[in-house]
Amino acid sequence: MFFAGLPFAQLLAIFGAVGFGVLVLYILKLRRRVVAVPFSPLWERILRDKEATSLFSKLKRLLSLLLQLALLALLVLALGDPRRTESLIKGRTVVVLVDASASMQATDVSPSRLAQAKDAVKNLIRNLGGSDRMLIAQMDAMVTPLGPMTDDASVLGGQLDNVHPTDARADFPRALRFASDVLRGVESGEIVVVSDGQLGEASDASGPVHVGNAKLTYMKVGQRDRNVGITQFSVRRYPLDKSRYEVMLELTDTGAAPEDVEIQLLGDGTLVDVTKLRLQPGVPLQRFYPQLSGANRRLEAKIALVDGTADDLPADDRAYALLPERHRAKVLVVTPGNTYLEAALLLDEYLDVTDVLPAAYPEALKTATWDAVIFDGATPPEMPKANVLYLDPRGPGAPVKVTDALKQPGFDKIDRKHPVVRYLGLDDVNVALGHKLVPETGDKVLGASDGGASPLLVAGTRGGYRFVAMGFDVRDSDLPLRTAWPLFVIDCINWFTDEDAQYLSAFRTGEVWRIPVAGGITAVTVKLPDGTVQSVPVHEGRAVLLGEQAGFYELTAGEQRTEFAANLLDVSESAIAPRDALPVVDGRTVAGQPVHGLREAPIGLPNKAWMGLLFAVALLTALEWATYHRRLTV
Amino acid sequence: MRPIVRKGLWAAMLVGLGLAGLWLYLRYVWFAGATIAWQRHGTDYELLNPRNLGIALFAPYFLWVIGRSLADLPLAQRILSAALRVAFVIVLALGLAQLARTATTQKVCTVYVIDVSDSIPDAALDDARLAVQSALDARPKDDLVRLVTFAKRPRAVPLADDEKKAPTIERHGPGLGGATDIASALQLAYGLFPEGYIRHAVVLSDGVQTDGDLLAEANRAGSYKVKLFSIPYKRPVPGEVAVRELRVPDKIHEGETFDVHAQIFSSVPQSVKVVLMQGELVNGLDGVRHVDLQAGDNDVTFKSRVVEGTQVTYSLTVSEAAQDRFKENNTATAVAAIIAKPVVLYVEGNPARASYLANALAAQQFNVDTTSPLPTTLAEAERYDFIVLSDIPEERVSLTQQETIEQYVRDTGGGFLFAGGESGYGLGGWSHSTIERILPVRMDAEKRRDEPEVAMALVIDRSGSMTGLPLEMAKQAAKATADTLAADDLLEVIVFDSLPTRIVRMTPAKHRARIQSDIARIQAGGGTEIFPALDAAYQALTATRAKKKHVILLTDGQAPQNGIRDLVQAMAAESITVSTVGLGGGIDETLLRMISEVGGGRFYRVADPQSLPRIFTRETEMVSRSAAVEEYFQPKVVSPADFLRGVDIGSAPFLHGYVATKMKPSPAQEILESELAEPILARWHVGLGWTLAWTSDVKNLWAVEWLRWPQWGQFWGQLVREHMRQRRRQVFDMRAELDPATGHVHAVLDAIGGDDRFENHLGANFTVTGPQPGGPTHTQPMPQTAPGRYEADFPLDRYGSFLLHASLDKPIDDGHGNVRTATVAESFGHITNSYPREYLALAPDVATLTQAAAATGGGLDPTPAAVFDPAGEVIRYHEDLWPRFVGVAIALFLLDLLVRRVRLFDRKKTAKTMARPTLRGAV
Repeated sequence: MFFAGLPFAQLLAIFGAVGFGVLVLYILKLRRRVVAVPFSPLWERILRDKEATSLFSKLKRLLSLLLQLALLALLVLALGDPRRTESLIKGRTVVVLVDASASMQATDVSPSRLAQAKDAVKNLIRNLGGSDRMLIAQMDAMVTPLGPMTDDASVLGGQLDNVHPTDARADFPRALRFASDVLRGVESGEIVVVSDGQLGEASDASGPVHVGNAKLTYMKVGQRDRNVGITQFSVRRYPLDKSRYEVMLELTDTGAAPEDVEIQLLGDGTLVDVTKLRLQPGVPLQRFYPQLSGANRRLEAKIALVDGTADDLPADDRAYALLPERHRAKVLVVTPGNTYLEAALLLDEYLDVTDVLPAAYPEALKTATWDAVIFDGATPPEMPKANVLYLDPRGPGAPVKVTDALKQPGFDKIDRKHPVVRYLGLDDVNVALGHKLVPETGDKVLGASDGGASPLLVAGTRGGYRFVAMGFDVRDSDLPLRTAWPLFVIDCINWFTDEDAQYLSAFRTGEVWRIPVAGGITAVTVKLPDGTVQSVPVHEGRAVLLGEQAGFYELTAGEQRTEFAANLLDVSESAIAPRDALPVVDGRTVAGQPVHGLREAPIGLPNKAWMGLLFAVALLTALEWATYHRRLTV
Repeated sequence: MRPIVRKGLWAAMLVGLGLAGLWLYLRYVWFAGATIAWQRHGTDYELLNPRNLGIALFAPYFLWVIGRSLADLPLAQRILSAALRVAFVIVLALGLAQLARTATTQKVCTVYVIDVSDSIPDAALDDARLAVQSALDARPKDDLVRLVTFAKRPRAVPLADDEKKAPTIERHGPGLGGATDIASALQLAYGLFPEGYIRHAVVLSDGVQTDGDLLAEANRAGSYKVKLFSIPYKRPVPGEVAVRELRVPDKIHEGETFDVHAQIFSSVPQSVKVVLMQGELVNGLDGVRHVDLQAGDNDVTFKSRVVEGTQVTYSLTVSEAAQDRFKENNTATAVAAIIAKPVVLYVEGNPARASYLANALAAQQFNVDTTSPLPTTLAEAERYDFIVLSDIPEERVSLTQQETIEQYVRDTGGGFLFAGGESGYGLGGWSHSTIERILPVRMDAEKRRDEPEVAMALVIDRSGSMTGLPLEMAKQAAKATADTLAADDLLEVIVFDSLPTRIVRMTPAKHRARIQSDIARIQAGGGTEIFPALDAAYQALTATRAKKKHVILLTDGQAPQNGIRDLVQAMAAESITVSTVGLGGGIDETLLRMISEVGGGRFYRVADPQSLPRIFTRETEMVSRSAAVEEYFQPKVVSPADFLRGVDIGSAPFLHGYVATKMKPSPAQEILESELAEPILARWHVGLGWTLAWTSDVKNLWAVEWLRWPQWGQFWGQLVREHMRQRRRQVFDMRAELDPATGHVHAVLDAIGGDDRFENHLGANFTVTGPQPGGPTHTQPMPQTAPGRYEADFPLDRYGSFLLHASLDKPIDDGHGNVRTATVAESFGHITNSYPREYLALAPDVATLTQAAAATGGGLDPTPAAVFDPAGEVIRYHEDLWPRFVGVAIALFLLDLLVRRVRLFDRKKTAKTMARPTLRGAV
């Protein structure tokens, strides 16, 4: 036994002091009442009787004293909050994993699966045995213990109120690993998973999860599976015609019956398209909206059942996407005159082009901050603090060393992974005369002649700014006559300004997002879809955030404001049919138990000895009161 | 008041009090819920077990007992005692109802989260223990310290609340230190903070994570009110050599020499031995080196070459290092995908002359297969990038082979060149064949002269043995011949038994009705005499002016041979060709074969008379409609084509002949034409591929001068390269990255067409093979996630090099109304995960530790005092008030005892009565 309340020494002191007082009070004789009686011989007999019973009287007084001391002992003991030492090491140690993934927002049970799961855990808390201890953890994309391992029902109940639903999938292996970490070295550990069973496999990149000897229990929540969800939603601008974009939408009826669905597509809050479709169960239906234009930023898809009823999971009935922002790039072209270059730059309406002669370049450079500078046949002594495209660079100012002249070089090797040349047909470009470029460490050779031995096109970074160098004058080749030429120029500018087709229209909830932010910023704030504002660290130029809510986010970094969207888009979460068994763990199949009527353990006052002591005090005081006043004790 | 009334009223009052109390209890407590909460002066109060208030319902019992008390106490003292006892019970009840309130505190619980992974030197663990010890020393009285150690997984280390001595920091054991997951350790730490304590966590680590993401977890820690501090380990990295990366080019062409780069880290300058293995052998060009490494990263480059194969695994091992802590990181692997040379299947009718084109293509970096037959299945055909069929008669190519070629071109995007020659096009009987259908030219060239092109003599046996079906079919064959011939062509039909009879005299074929009625009159006769009949045909043909003169001799029996050879030789001398058809088993094959050979024609042995019309028709077509134009000419470029870049057709020598064909309508494209404006080279798209028609030949007959042309090889090389199965065009870019936080590989494939169009609705499958060599293959679907984008995500639970492959399938109509799935594009990639990142010998990541601490308001290298400094923070916690009630109960208990044991009232009265002489007695 140990004392969780006052330490034993203090208890002894209290008992000693109060007990001494009790003893003193019992040593003191109660002053008798003086009663005048008319006839003394009558009382002589009484006095005689008294003398005969004085021993019995003494015994009654002793009994009374003992009763009072016992009462005092119980009270003092209660102050110590005594507990059995075994409760520290024996009894059940239960880790409850409460599934808070998106599918737990399903409303097939009232008011929701998560609420039912919480009720089930409350029931578990009530049924905790005297030496049982419990830890409650929320299981979503991460696992979060809501408090320490405790036997205090009120504390556990309070923790349960902090479980909140997320728009992410549950990371079951991670949660199981956490539970087994907590239960390491515990003899009678138990893991209770309260979930609808949509948990994937109990295995991840580290291999299958082992929970050792811990008992695994699955409390199954949920009943129905009627749901239609948006399982993909994204938007992309076309690589070349960036004024237009294409939207992809995928719907899945994860229920058992066909459903008629109305899809609404909204652009910047305005209705763009309404379609009614019939979905067959289990068959994803992809729908593309090509060649769209009009919306500037926000796209949203909403679905509703045509019959006016609602499906069981509203969380996947909306999806969000953001169009990549079009930035009007300021381009400075330093050229003695090149019609081909001017024509290529005319193709992109989002370019703000300024042409200057090489002599006027130093002045022009100062007039504005340029997103890109193009040097056509002119090479400045040093690279400006801007992203630069060098066409036929020469001299010491070139970012790469320009060496041997190449007669009739061609693009024998092309680095098709690089965004500048990814979609360009350069293989058969004819060049009359070029120069071999010598890249520095870290530079990328985008195109090379002579079987790869003579780099012709090199990209890299100097002083934090990007450059592309092309080792020939375009007028000495048939490149300007090809569609690849304007695309090359625009791809270079897009690469400089990070505007390419790889833009992500929305993040997925439940993943760690890394959102690019401007250089030099170390911390940003992010406004979540629910309106809360969170401070987020920046690492290597990217804000790092684990997102668990679907919707539009707003990132603020100094004066820079960026929007981004996040979606659930997870067919396994949209499939809300509750599973009868957990994923196989350690070769064990764990069947689900209904959340009600689970484990009818005796309801008592577990591990609350002080309560029992106080109840005993109440009982003893009632007894002592009666015996005293009936003169059974004095 | 009478005692009975008084007692009754007393009892009624007690019962009333009890019932009222019960009603109030049920109304406001029992049915009020599990707990009762209220707020007073900004403080939250709560009864956690309000139902225990029921104990107070026993108050009337105490009053009832005192009503019947025999104790000798004055009334006032009795009332006081009863009041005290009732108060005692009520206080007990309140204690049992567990009254609690929300209070604030500044007590701090600090969890030390200590990295014990393999990358941490032992000395750093001692430092960690000292840090914990100084925390224990500096810990204020009510504050707590908890301890978690972690590597791959975290462990809570038991530490008593009043512990004064820091425990030894121990590693987790063999095999458990090869990873670092700080995020999981923090998650375990969350569960160690008791209620009512400000939460601090101190991470002692080098910040190098292999799993999880500390920064993302720091966000969450902040939202759970956990303040993080970081203490980076400062011990220098022990002597270490690690192969950080082994890099090979993404694409390597067969036979080409390339560089293999190794990035080798060494913490100190030292000499090591480096061995590069190619597969299971030491790299041939440059395999073993002794390298002097500088401190830091060193780039070591090897030359290598792959002669054959589709992939090769390189592994680089560093050994003989003087200072090296981990052996696990001394080897790295990489897989190189080898781009094999394109394979051309070249089937030549005259194999002895196949070397000219074969050598030219081989010199242009093609693998040329001249020995294999034409494929009969698509799978066989897919081995080739281009198929050349040259100068081969139609009869040597089965229908299945022709259809396979069609499928190969149409569905798999293969390239097919049909080259002419003496057996090419119509000359080889290719009219109306499957091959003609897929070629951009027709084989029924128009006549260019007014004079008859062909004079044909049919010499048909009508001996007795031909009676019945054979003769009828022979008549049908003759009629079909008349139908097949062009209007100006001439036809003579001679039947013979013992003597020849001219049924049709050399008549233009345009008089078909008359010819056919004449033929219909043929009847069976007697014996078989070939010579006179053949002679009659010779006589008739000699007299005509046709360009081509041909005899078809049909017989089913034996005949004397006398003079026939001379006759046929004479005919051949006058360019009269003779083909022979032997029907049935009774023929003199030697004779007929001799006639056809000497006569420059063909011999057909026919068992079934039904096939006679087909043979006659084909013979006629071969003779009449596919005329070889054997003239010297220089082809002219009609329309420019990319593959002619750098090839000056104007400087090309003369060709000596070609087979006359006619262009099909657009989109068939004529590239080169003859002086007679007939196609020499034409092409068009068939399905996904190209077919090309080259009407001259590709050997030392018509193209004999071209063989000496310097651009002969370049011409064919560029032609084949442009039109071969364009794997490159269909290979989409795939990017694959290993996310160290999750251990998952995320592969993204962008399918964007050249026309700025996203390729949607493709069925994509993603295959991971490895670790190489010989690792298992795992295939999973690669769902489309955006217009033109397909993504796959899979856990990489092994170490080594992995080959990635994605195939994109599309439903294709096979032209017969059936839809089947064909692979239209594919992607390749590879990813390397040589050994656990723990052994990557990365420098401590102080930046991440700093940012994680900053994100929660904590800091780097905190002093022990700072660790326990609440910094003005207060935390609300649940304070149980029941012990206070127990204390009050003890006080009440003592007070009650005093009231009962000491006479407090009517003392005065007692003193007065004492003055009188009375007897003392006690009641």
